[in-house]
Amino acid sequence: MKIRKCVVTVAGPRQRRLPLQTLVSGGGAPRSVLALLLDEACRAGAEEVCLVVSPGDREPYSQVLDDHRGRVHFREQNEPLGYGHAVFQAREFVGGDPFLHMVGDHLYVNRRAGGCASALVSVAEREECAVSAVQPTREGLLGRFGAVGGQPVAGKAGIYRIDTVLEKPTPTEAEQKIVVPGLRAGHYLCFFGMHVLTAGVMEILGDLLRHHPRSSASLSAALAGLAERERYLACELPGRRFDLGARYGLFIAQFALAMSGKDREEVLSQLFEVLALDESGAAAEAEARR
Amino acid sequence: MSELTRIITEQDPRVRNLPLDHFCQRAAVHLLLEECSYLEDFRRQSRNLYERVRALFFLSAIHRFHLPFRPGVRLEGRVPYEGYKHLLERRYEEAIRSFLAAQSEQGVCAALSSALAAAYRGLAFQTLADQVRRSVRSVRGNQWMFRTGHPADHPIRIRPELASPDAATGLYPVLREATPVRMDFSHSGWSDIFFLGMDYPEGARVINASINLAVRQGDAPGEPRPPVEAYFRLIDEPVLRLASVDLGCVAEVTSLEGVFDYARDYLGLLKAAAIASGLVPPGMEGSGQALGGLLEQLTGRAGHGLEVVSRVNDIPKGSRLAVSTSLLACLIAVLMRATGQIANLTGHLEERERRLVAARAILGEWLAGSGGGWQDSGGVWPGIKLISGVAAAEDDVEFGVSRGCLLPGHHVFSEEEIPAGTREALQRSLVLVHGGMAQDVGPILEMVTERYLLRSSREWTARQEAIGTLDEIVSALRAGDIRTLGALTHRNFQRPIQTIIPWAENHFTELLIERVKAEFREGFWGFWMLGGMSGGGMGFLFDPAVKSRAQQRLGAIMSGLKRGLESGVPFAMEPVVYDFQINERGSWAELKTGADALLPSGYYTLTVPSLLKQESVRLARARRAELEQFGAACRGRPELAGQIQALFDNLLPQAAQSATDRRQELSRLLDEYGFDRVQHERIRAELRAGRIGLAQNRLPVASSIVDVLPEDVTDTRPELPEQLRQAGLDALAEGAAAVVTLAGGVGSRWTHGAGVVKALNPFARLGGRHRTFLEVHLAKSRRLGRRLGRGLPHVVTTSHLTHGPTERHLRAAGNYGYEGPLRLSPGRMVGLRLVPMVRDLRFAWEEMPQQILDEQKQKVRDSLRAALIHWAETAGEASDYTDNLPEQCLHPVGHWYEIPNLLRNGVLASLLDENPRLRCLMLHNVDTLGADVDPALLGLHLASNAGLTVEVIAREVEDRGGGLARVDGRPRLVEGLAFPYEALEFDLSYYNSNTFWLDIDRLLAVFGLSREDLADAARVTEAVRGMAARMPTYVTLKDVKRRWGRGQEDIFPVAQFEKLWGDMTTLPELECRYIVVSRRRGQQLKEVAQLDPWLRDGSAAYVESLCDWG
Repeated sequence: MKIRKCVVTVAGPRQRRLPLQTLVSGGGAPRSVLALLLDEACRAGAEEVCLVVSPGDREPYSQVLDDHRGRVHFREQNEPLGYGHAVFQAREFVGGDPFLHMVGDHLYVNRRAGGCASALVSVAEREECAVSAVQPTREGLLGRFGAVGGQPVAGKAGIYRIDTVLEKPTPTEAEQKIVVPGLRAGHYLCFFGMHVLTAGVMEILGDLLRHHPRSSASLSAALAGLAERERYLACELPGRRFDLGARYGLFIAQFALAMSGKDREEVLSQLFEVLALDESGAAAEAEARR
Repeated sequence: MSELTRIITEQDPRVRNLPLDHFCQRAAVHLLLEECSYLEDFRRQSRNLYERVRALFFLSAIHRFHLPFRPGVRLEGRVPYEGYKHLLERRYEEAIRSFLAAQSEQGVCAALSSALAAAYRGLAFQTLADQVRRSVRSVRGNQWMFRTGHPADHPIRIRPELASPDAATGLYPVLREATPVRMDFSHSGWSDIFFLGMDYPEGARVINASINLAVRQGDAPGEPRPPVEAYFRLIDEPVLRLASVDLGCVAEVTSLEGVFDYARDYLGLLKAAAIASGLVPPGMEGSGQALGGLLEQLTGRAGHGLEVVSRVNDIPKGSRLAVSTSLLACLIAVLMRATGQIANLTGHLEERERRLVAARAILGEWLAGSGGGWQDSGGVWPGIKLISGVAAAEDDVEFGVSRGCLLPGHHVFSEEEIPAGTREALQRSLVLVHGGMAQDVGPILEMVTERYLLRSSREWTARQEAIGTLDEIVSALRAGDIRTLGALTHRNFQRPIQTIIPWAENHFTELLIERVKAEFREGFWGFWMLGGMSGGGMGFLFDPAVKSRAQQRLGAIMSGLKRGLESGVPFAMEPVVYDFQINERGSWAELKTGADALLPSGYYTLTVPSLLKQESVRLARARRAELEQFGAACRGRPELAGQIQALFDNLLPQAAQSATDRRQELSRLLDEYGFDRVQHERIRAELRAGRIGLAQNRLPVASSIVDVLPEDVTDTRPELPEQLRQAGLDALAEGAAAVVTLAGGVGSRWTHGAGVVKALNPFARLGGRHRTFLEVHLAKSRRLGRRLGRGLPHVVTTSHLTHGPTERHLRAAGNYGYEGPLRLSPGRMVGLRLVPMVRDLRFAWEEMPQQILDEQKQKVRDSLRAALIHWAETAGEASDYTDNLPEQCLHPVGHWYEIPNLLRNGVLASLLDENPRLRCLMLHNVDTLGADVDPALLGLHLASNAGLTVEVIAREVEDRGGGLARVDGRPRLVEGLAFPYEALEFDLSYYNSNTFWLDIDRLLAVFGLSREDLADAARVTEAVRGMAARMPTYVTLKDVKRRWGRGQEDIFPVAQFEKLWGDMTTLPELECRYIVVSRRRGQQLKEVAQLDPWLRDGSAAYVESLCDWG
């Protein structure tokens, strides 16, 4: 099993503008979020990338592709019918091949060489099956993510066989259905926003969309179906994921990039300067008041 | 290995189910002690919960029912006070250590065995309760709630469908849940008690149906509907607003502490539901966080809150249909839907969700300090179902701890299994009623658990029979044979149920079944006990041809019986008859939106009057919109036609008028009973000034109070000399003695303040029928009278509360056929109860040693006590207690007055006229059932020439409230209220049984009177007043029930004063003798919980042996 294709969805109403933002990469160069994501995909071995966008977004995205221009294919999601529907738009691009999938509003930072996607792809290629990246997440945040239940695979640390997938479960449901042995109490394996999927998922999405043509299809529902049909694993990745759409999401992602890159010392010293000035300013104000 | 530990650990059921009694009956004392030692080691070492618990119950039973009755075992001993304190504070292990150390020191004795029995029993129940608590917490789906301690971590949100107001009306959508209640055909001998289900899952089976109900008004049939409803909506105020329409209570909770304060108002169940549903997770208790932050997190917006409303549709308390558990489950279901924990916002629940709701309801019951069985949430499921215990499998949290799981499995019978025709036939035959009694079923559940673990052979056989009966019931239902069903439920009640727990039946039910049988003969197919005991909700199966008539007649039959019994039996309400219908869909929800998004009409009757008093600009926007919509609905909707009138009635409450009427009636009664207003005002002033009170009841600390010396008492337990017995018989033959039964009290502890006459309470089945206390005493006098060939004079003293009912009862019962002279001695004194001083409440609750409850129940009790202290402050400390029925505001003034009353009311004078040789009175409490005019004791008393002979018994651990002591060198009785400090009582060997032999002439002399003076009323009154002044006055707190609504009851502690006869022993001029009598003779039945051991330890048989039922 070799992963050569990648699907990135950027059509969500909340995420459309985020991939166009510019950050400074770990190498110190200004780069768009989208380009950073595509860098990640390339490091993992993806040769072709399908970008699923909203109608009319092809042009602005084309402008920020930098050196990835030649390997990107665009597909449009004509109606906002959900995440699953967006992924389904790449079915022809995927064909019968397994593919790496990432969401456009997340950024992944891994201090180790290779990146998160690369680690995930190597697990999928080794295990020859679909693998989703997951992260143990405390139950208070369950309402934001898809989550999986399953069993640890013996002898393979951080790898789990998935038997249940739930979209944004309540803790009540999570406790009943997706408790995973070995995790701390109140922690669940939640999606990291990065998957290696087989073409089977497109068939399941097709079925779901056929049966519920106007409802908002979730990818989690399709992944639950995938877990029933074929071997499907979850893999804990060492890196960190940053939700760019969250409050200060871009800022924190930029900070993390800087801390893992070559400008770490410079950024830290500037940060200390800001803090020190702020403190001394506050002290002076207090003195003046006295 | 010891014999008993082998029985406990054996896997073979033939050994495992052997009864403890078989072994104990043939074991010598040394062997019993050896087994106790093995069991003690075993229970400490065993890791298996049920092995530990069974060993604890074995130990308790050996110490309670076997060791003390063996020849050679001493009766007297000292229970260490330190151990007793541990016992009260539920530190059972420490208590056991202390008692065992004392046993090593003093040797085996009945006193220490009683203490050990209590401690082992307490530890057994605590262990079981802890296990259920752990299981409830560890049920998957419940665990996260105990981890969530901060609003920022709260993982659930209100569903978006409920989060926005309607654009046109401004009303937030209302989610309404309606739930049926469960009606059980059989519970296989209470097998749904958690402990049983978890130890004996194969025997834990219940069949029950979900039903809708309506109370019949006269002969008019009602329209059955789900009895409980819950409503939920968002509000634009940052509070948690809770309202109970049926209890007429609404509260706005603004802090997390308020949510966890269960007993502050009548909304404890709603609070428990809010917590158990995860809306306010239990992990938040004591977190110090703000409720506002939590509500903001839940609703997703600042300044918003939630409203939860409950309604029970006219079903009274004590229905035995698990109404409160069903309401709890209904509330939990609506809250779980609203927070997305249940997938369907409306419509039915999935099986997984029903189980989750049931698990949360168990959690809620534990939080609110109540608890029933696992079948009680049965109404959440539809139709008729078989609920069975489930053996714990490897992936269950219970595995390795108990044999069964906490939650059972439900099988809902399909129409193929129980056809629609059978369901209709059942509805055409069954008459459901509420008999009006609302007893606490908790003690019965404890008895069942204990007997199950002891495997007493009769009860174990009965349990197997009950299990078999359930199978027969299922077969009858499958076959559609309702007549056989009636025979089976009837047999189930008469045989296994009553064999396991005789107290499941009562005199009222016994008579009711007799009457129905007599009136309907072949048309009556059988009685059907519902829930844990009879007397409240019950069923009667009839031939469909007579059902309609039966439905009309049952109300009248029950009311007639109630009128005949209510002076001695606590009824909470007037009996009612229901119409019912099987509910085939279980708990069900609907969403009300737009102009339809209103709460039930009763909610507005409750809330609108206070809203109308506010300026409209102060009302929240949604409130204003709601009032507009409600106004429009009242004009347009026929079902709301009477609302405006109801609102006006509520604006000007009629309650004020009835309160005025009550006060006038009270005033009339006080005048009639000769209430002494001057004395009352003096007591009030002294209470307020702190000169009298609970703390002031005590003797000075400087008094020397020590145990009596051996020579201070005469032990009558060994056979007394024949000549004494003969002297007594001779005296009796010449008419020298009479009996005086003190029956002026209302048994506050017996009925928790229900205000019925204790003497007339048919408390137990003796000689084949239920007997009242009074009947037992007369039966003893009859037996002696028949032996003597002359009637023994028997006097029953009464008070204003008991005189009329006792007189009527005796007349109706033909004096129980008593042949001898029987007189009532009416009381001449009455007191008016007072709102207690906060100082006294605190003293009673904080300074006096008392039984600490299970952790959660204690929290509820603390919360209730805070509410009662607030009540005392706002009602006015030491003000007259008048907010109740007039009879509940009055109190008898203590049994000291009952002998002076005999002097004042002419009863003694006329007794002496009729029997000039009368010399002696035997005076005893109405609840001292073993006291009889024993000729040998009479002979002893006469031979001693004493003015007063006092009977005492060897003290056991439960004997609290006074005893025989040497005070400053002189033997006398000391009331429990008077000990300067508690520990002193534990140094005393003997407890006061309150049975006295009085020498009439010597006693009169102490009063400064002679027989001739009794004709001079003024002189007698003067003498009594003079003596009364020398007797101490004790201030006491008594529980009084206040009834309201439909079978609801509140218990208030009120202050009253009393003088007690035992203080006569303080008079130097009265020569007193003290005799030690057997426990069976001297023990008093103060609480209903004593009845079962009283029956089991042979005391009841002893009393029966003294009686001649005529």
